[in-house]
Amino acid sequence: MNAVPAKKGFGPLLLIAPAAILLGVFLVLPYLNIVVMSFRIPGQGTPYAPGFTFANYGKFFADGFYIGQVVNTLWIGFVTTFACLVLGYPVAWQLARGTSAFRALGYGLVLSPLLVGIVIRSYGWTILLGNNGIINRTLTSWGIVDGPLPLMYNALGIVIALVHVFLPFMILPIMSAIQGIDPSLEAAARSLGASRITAFRRITLPLSLPGIQAGCILVFVLSLSAYVTPSLIGGMRVKTMAVTVVDALIDTFQWPFGSALALMLSVTGAIVVVLFGRLTRMKWKA
Amino acid sequence: MTEVSIEKLTKDYGQGPAVNGISIKIAEGEFISLLGPSGCGKTTTLKMIAGFEDATEGAIRFDGRDVVHVPVEKRDIGMVFQNYALFPHMTVEKNLAFGLEMRKVPKSEIRERIAKVLDMVQLAGYAERYPRQLSGGQQQRVALARALVIEPKILLLDEPLANLDAKLREEMRVFIRDLQRRVGITTVYVTHDQAEAMTMSDRVVVMFGGRIAQIGTPSDIYERPANLEVAEFVGQVNIIRGRVGNRVVSTAFGDVPVSGDYAEGAELMLALRPEAVELLPVGSGAAGVPARVLSSYYSGSLVDYRLELANGAAVNVQAFPRTRFADGDEVLVHAPADRFWPLGPVTGIGA
Repeated sequence: MNAVPAKKGFGPLLLIAPAAILLGVFLVLPYLNIVVMSFRIPGQGTPYAPGFTFANYGKFFADGFYIGQVVNTLWIGFVTTFACLVLGYPVAWQLARGTSAFRALGYGLVLSPLLVGIVIRSYGWTILLGNNGIINRTLTSWGIVDGPLPLMYNALGIVIALVHVFLPFMILPIMSAIQGIDPSLEAAARSLGASRITAFRRITLPLSLPGIQAGCILVFVLSLSAYVTPSLIGGMRVKTMAVTVVDALIDTFQWPFGSALALMLSVTGAIVVVLFGRLTRMKWKA
Repeated sequence: MTEVSIEKLTKDYGQGPAVNGISIKIAEGEFISLLGPSGCGKTTTLKMIAGFEDATEGAIRFDGRDVVHVPVEKRDIGMVFQNYALFPHMTVEKNLAFGLEMRKVPKSEIRERIAKVLDMVQLAGYAERYPRQLSGGQQQRVALARALVIEPKILLLDEPLANLDAKLREEMRVFIRDLQRRVGITTVYVTHDQAEAMTMSDRVVVMFGGRIAQIGTPSDIYERPANLEVAEFVGQVNIIRGRVGNRVVSTAFGDVPVSGDYAEGAELMLALRPEAVELLPVGSGAAGVPARVLSSYYSGSLVDYRLELANGAAVNVQAFPRTRFADGDEVLVHAPADRFWPLGPVTGIGA
């Protein structure tokens, strides 16, 4: 099979141009602006004063509070990703391999969290999770717990709400990865003496790794940058980096420092994603 | 070596039986083919033997032991799939080692057995390749090796040559058959290709609509088909009609003696293979029935003629191209009486 040599010319460039322009104008340029902003000197009464400084980053590293917040945010991202993976994989498998009647219904259910606006959905969770919320009232009235469980204004509440929203982003890539695996591979493994579980562990699971990888990266990145859900459910007590960044930019008007915080969040997130990519690639070869 | 006995096996998915009470006895080391059009139940039967489908009723015995309730992984089968089903994330060696690892074979022995089986399928030196780096024929041989290296009780093949091109397919037929003879393993081969079934098998099981139409050697199936359906599915055939008279059937080719109880005066169908008919030039003095060439198709080693008899019936004839006849030529056709095979009274179907 000889690949047809790609025709040289501007064709491919034209195809990606619209998306490239869109990203360039609305993502890359603002991002560059943020980078520049993060080195500016905070001004009095103005967003920034003339000149450049490293002081914004100094402030970040000097204060354990901000580093702690990055760690917290990463932790929430990890737990959310892991929970989505554990909850989502079986669903993805079922959607990929199940009968068609179930598939249509299941597909709809999986996508349903995305059909409700994020603010409404987050308020919905506050109704469920609050101290006076439906869950706690039910549990207390049934005498299962004495006082309300701390479900809101903590990391647990944030994770619960994030898992709900981001589950589709885990399920869909894994589902398509599993759909790409020939079912006769599992049959072959069984015919060679592998139990269902062994066949899954040795064949289906490793072959679905690209889907797992994509799903994990998506959910992790989305969790790090989530703002509405953590701010509504975390309240004043638990703040993720995204919330703190917005506080700095909007509430206290510290544009340079807020930009530095935003960049630190992006950089740590990127480092984790790259490391994860490396790790799963090595696993793939093993 | 294992003897396989299938007894009154039935599979019903709920819309009428896909396999309807079939019984086959497969001798030790025998190569048997399940042949039939798609939907005839051959693949379902294979899946039940393998254990991928539960039998609704009936028994499958390996050396007398009923395995119907034994899960796939405990049946000790070797299976080759239509698309080979090689594990894409494993090298050839890892693919071959898989079944041995499942059987907890020691590492050193695994290495030995893999080397031996790779030699057997003429792929020594390919151990480190990934399946995608192999050609279709090579992948096919790896699939065979993977099924055989575990030394299973029986070998099951599900249309393994369907994805290969014609030339390779013919090579692989011989290759698989030779390998099977050497190993001496009881083999069940599923195919819809009658040439494949005929050239490879000790016996062929012809299936239609979930039932067995005929079990027999390739020559039984071809020369003495059980009914019209078998005759028409296996190779080309002319259906010649004739009326039963005193122990003979009178046909357009003359009187053909028949054994068997047929009511006098009944109309009978006789199978006549195209290559059983001789074509002779008019005026050669030989005995024959006059006919006219309608069309001819030359394919190198053979010529296929379509003829019209005096009574208007069409007859297909396959002949060596030594003497060629042109379209429109008047010829004489002759068929020895022993090349006619009775298929029973005219039923309305068939030509």
